[in-house]
Amino acid sequence: MLTIKDLKANIDNKEILKGLNLEIKPGEVHAIMGPNGSGKSTLSNVLSGKKGYTVTGEVKYFNENLLDLEIEERAHKGIFLAFQYPLEIPGVNTNIFLKTSLNAIKKAKGEKELDAIEFLKLVKQKAGELKFDEKILSRQLNVGFSGGEKKKNEILQMSILNPKLSILDETDSGLDIDALKIVSEGVNALRSKESSFLIITHYQRLLEYIKPDFVHVLINGQIVKSGGSELALELEKKGYESLS
Amino acid sequence: MDAREKEIEKLKDYKYGFSTDIENTRAPKGLNEEVIKFISNIKKEPQWMLDWRLKAFERLKQLKEPNWQKPKYPKIDYQDLYYYSAPKSMDDKPKSLDELDPKLLETYNKLGIPLQEQARLNGIAVDAVFDSVSVATTFKGELNKKGIIFCSMSEAIREHPELVKKYLGSVIPLSDHYFATLNSAVFTDGSFVYIPEGVRCPMELSTYFRINATETGQFERTLIIADKGSYVSYLEGCTAPMRDENQLHAANVELVALDDAEIKYSTVQNWYPGDKDGKGGIYNFVTKRGLCKGKNSKISWTQVETGSAITWKYPSCILMGDNSVGEFYSIAITNNHQKADTGTKMIHLGKNTKSKIISKGISAGFADNTYRGLVDIAKKADNARNFTQCDSLLMGNKCGAHTVPYIKNKNSSSNIEHEATTSKISDEQLFYCNQRGLNQEEAVSLIVNGFCKEVLQQLPMEFAVEAQKLVGISLEGSVG
Amino acid sequence: MEQLKVDFNKVIESLKLSEKSINSRKENLNQFVENGFPNKRVEDWKFSDLNQIISSNIENLRFHTDFEISEIDETTFIDKFAHNKIIFLNGVISKVDFSSEDDTKVLITRDLNQNENSKEVNSLVSLNNALITSYIRVTVKENYSMNEPLIIYNITTKELKSTAINLKTDIVLEKNSSLKLIDLFDDSSENNFINIVQNFDIAQDAILKNYKIDHKKNSNIKYSYNNINLEKNSISENFIFSTGSKFIKNEINCNLNDEYSSAFINGIINLTNSQHHEIKTNINHLAENTKSYQLIKSVLNENAKGIYQGKIYVDSKAQKTNGYQLSKALLLSENTEFDGKPELEIYADDVKCSHGATSGNLDEDAIFYLMSRGLSNQQSKELLIKGFLLDAVEKITDIEIKDLIKNMIGITE
Repeated sequence: MLTIKDLKANIDNKEILKGLNLEIKPGEVHAIMGPNGSGKSTLSNVLSGKKGYTVTGEVKYFNENLLDLEIEERAHKGIFLAFQYPLEIPGVNTNIFLKTSLNAIKKAKGEKELDAIEFLKLVKQKAGELKFDEKILSRQLNVGFSGGEKKKNEILQMSILNPKLSILDETDSGLDIDALKIVSEGVNALRSKESSFLIITHYQRLLEYIKPDFVHVLINGQIVKSGGSELALELEKKGYESLS
Repeated sequence: MDAREKEIEKLKDYKYGFSTDIENTRAPKGLNEEVIKFISNIKKEPQWMLDWRLKAFERLKQLKEPNWQKPKYPKIDYQDLYYYSAPKSMDDKPKSLDELDPKLLETYNKLGIPLQEQARLNGIAVDAVFDSVSVATTFKGELNKKGIIFCSMSEAIREHPELVKKYLGSVIPLSDHYFATLNSAVFTDGSFVYIPEGVRCPMELSTYFRINATETGQFERTLIIADKGSYVSYLEGCTAPMRDENQLHAANVELVALDDAEIKYSTVQNWYPGDKDGKGGIYNFVTKRGLCKGKNSKISWTQVETGSAITWKYPSCILMGDNSVGEFYSIAITNNHQKADTGTKMIHLGKNTKSKIISKGISAGFADNTYRGLVDIAKKADNARNFTQCDSLLMGNKCGAHTVPYIKNKNSSSNIEHEATTSKISDEQLFYCNQRGLNQEEAVSLIVNGFCKEVLQQLPMEFAVEAQKLVGISLEGSVG
Repeated sequence: MEQLKVDFNKVIESLKLSEKSINSRKENLNQFVENGFPNKRVEDWKFSDLNQIISSNIENLRFHTDFEISEIDETTFIDKFAHNKIIFLNGVISKVDFSSEDDTKVLITRDLNQNENSKEVNSLVSLNNALITSYIRVTVKENYSMNEPLIIYNITTKELKSTAINLKTDIVLEKNSSLKLIDLFDDSSENNFINIVQNFDIAQDAILKNYKIDHKKNSNIKYSYNNINLEKNSISENFIFSTGSKFIKNEINCNLNDEYSSAFINGIINLTNSQHHEIKTNINHLAENTKSYQLIKSVLNENAKGIYQGKIYVDSKAQKTNGYQLSKALLLSENTEFDGKPELEIYADDVKCSHGATSGNLDEDAIFYLMSRGLSNQQSKELLIKGFLLDAVEKITDIEIKDLIKNMIGITE
């Protein structure tokens, strides 16, 4: 579903990604690990279309040139980014935001939009499955949420929008062990033959709960090593220095 | 989303910009005693009313047009305006809607304000003002049963002179300032509301103002009296055709709340704002003032100002009765070359009086948006309280957002709090919304509506939806 | 006004002035004559009608003094720390002492002909331009930090009556230099009008700390106008301690002309009787990444009136501006009044600007809390008032001067 060839990205004349190659097939879970400053967050920003980068190379997403699409078009086509730092938007009710978002995506796909009652039913069901307190959904979007609540909210949004490719950018950062478990269970529940995941993380911890099919090590803007889930454990022991 | 999307598409260029081709009766051009007599005569006013107008006109000759406000405008030639223009068919006042010119009915249908019995908006009584006359007032009969008077100002002068004499000019004196005095001399029509003691008005009352004729100023006058223990919620909407000329709208609105009474006054102002280059549009110079005359009375102003080339208004509360409450909730959106200088005055005279001001200013394009307000606590206003919050949102760096609050506190047991912030929509917020599938305009509309939420939720349901749409539409094309 | 013209001629005769200087003074005089003392119809003077205040407090105002006083009472001088001195005695410079500084690094000019007129922002500055009889400019050379603070003593003696006096100081801080300046008022005179103009040019990386102390109770009417220009990466810290005079209006216009410059204006207004003090600021953010911070605390007793008018202007070029102002006032008796106008005028979108203003009485719950811990009502109030003022005083970055001001308001630790 996703094929990345020789992807390079610059910001402020500084090269961050220096020729990255990666292939993700439907149903696969890939983890990208790397030290700070290796380009992990840049990869998730570039894939979701954030402005400000000069990008070269090729990214094919279901045989379409992903780099030509606007941010929201990518979202309509099933790319979801769980933000490392979810944004606060004062005055905007979380439910209303989610409904607007879901219906924008449904509309782009030519599906029937949900009315308020259908939507609330869906939210109730998903929140139940993920064991989330739906009370936070009637609050302003991420305003005054704790770090854990923000991350849970991202996973809930992911489960409602039902994306094809979910990119989790350091979703484990700032989570205690209990929150980490809940978030991971949420992700595992969403795993299917159709949906793929790209999990970006600094630590192996998250991968104990979400078992990846492939692990890639990103150092200095390039993937230097790929392997199975055992690679994560190896890294945990030896550190990134052994590979650089 | 389909319906909403279509709605937006339709409204993209000012939806209300059409004009109705209709034959008019006009006063001769210019401002003089003869014109004032003409207006008074055509409205079959009693002598006392004409005398009052002429007194105002005498006073006007000694007043100067103010120039302290931030928006500057080219000099208005007051002799080159029509002060009265009404559809000819209104000369012999139609007795029922059946006799009303179909063109007028059609106009209001197009504006989304059907007047015919079968199509009327549920739970809203409407007084429809077209240029200088009120063409129809709906639900009058039902309101009458409760003793509520809801009619045009002209009718009230003829039918209820005792109330008009007592209250007209009691809040905005004859010689208050230039535009208010001009209105006192030449006002044409508007709404009159009286809610008797102890009555809770069972439906929303509403006036829909429409400017149609060219080279005509609109000078309406509204007077609302809430007698002891009564309640009324009143809505006001305004639109005008798209024209290259600037048109003057100088209205006076007076509210009086007696003991334990409450008046809620909401405005969605969407006069024609002019085109993208700032050509044309309405000069909206309005005087609105409420008097909390009785103890425990309350007056609440809510306004959504999205239209007009220049808006210049300060809906105010004089908190005279002990324990009275004044509120002002405002959203002012300016885009392209629009200018708004708006805010409120809260004058605390009575004991334990409270006021609250929430102002949200949004500026885009080349626009200038100013909040100007006064909180004045008099020496005898023991335990008075005020809370003010003014937030501004700027979109781009060709526009301006200004906050000019005046605070005067002469009472040591009182408490005033004022907060103001200025911010922008961050790129990160837009990215987050885009990533969730919203396009740029939907994202801006969502974020701005969030910014305005505290004010929007003050509006009655029927208006809130319309207002939310307007907020989004007014800012279209402002983030690129 | 007749008196003014007569006195103006006396001033001109008493000084050795160039033709050019005389002409320019005449122009300034005319400007003052045209506008007079500002009254409340002038927007900036809305809350302080100076014309009315002067006419009701001073009879037969004169604009010229011809008596000489040579004795200065040095016992009132600050003895807590060594310092440089400039002494204005009844409006005339009587002593300049920079003995502990390197005289190639600190340059002094007193030639009136070298005085450049201040920008005529209002009639009072014009009056100052027309009538000053002494002038001083202090230039601190590049990379020099003064060893000791400079105190400008503004002394008036009881011989001075019903007179308008005009003082002017220019301070130039060259690149990477620094100066601590205290303007200290010591008034034994009554019913005079004292009109002060100060200009500060602060070059790249230079630091100015300016503390204005009007502490001793007196019946004079004062106006102080400061114009501050800040260049790249420079800092201006101002503190105004406003409690002595019958009336004083401190006006500061501050231009943040270049990147990374910052301005801090903090102050306290602490009044009794029928005193009437105003602080007015204009902060102009004219370049990117500039910063301003203002905190003004007012305590009003008896019939006093306090005013804060603060304006933050942000030019469309000045992205990433950070502007903050907060005014808090305590009205402690029923005849006090506090007026405020905290204003924002903003033309750039990527800025953080906010202001806040509160006014009211002491928190009854706090008094109750303290009394429940055994303090008397009076003690509780005093404690809360001192705490209220301390908040602003703590912003002073110079330890010696902070302690000096704490002592003056009776806060000891």
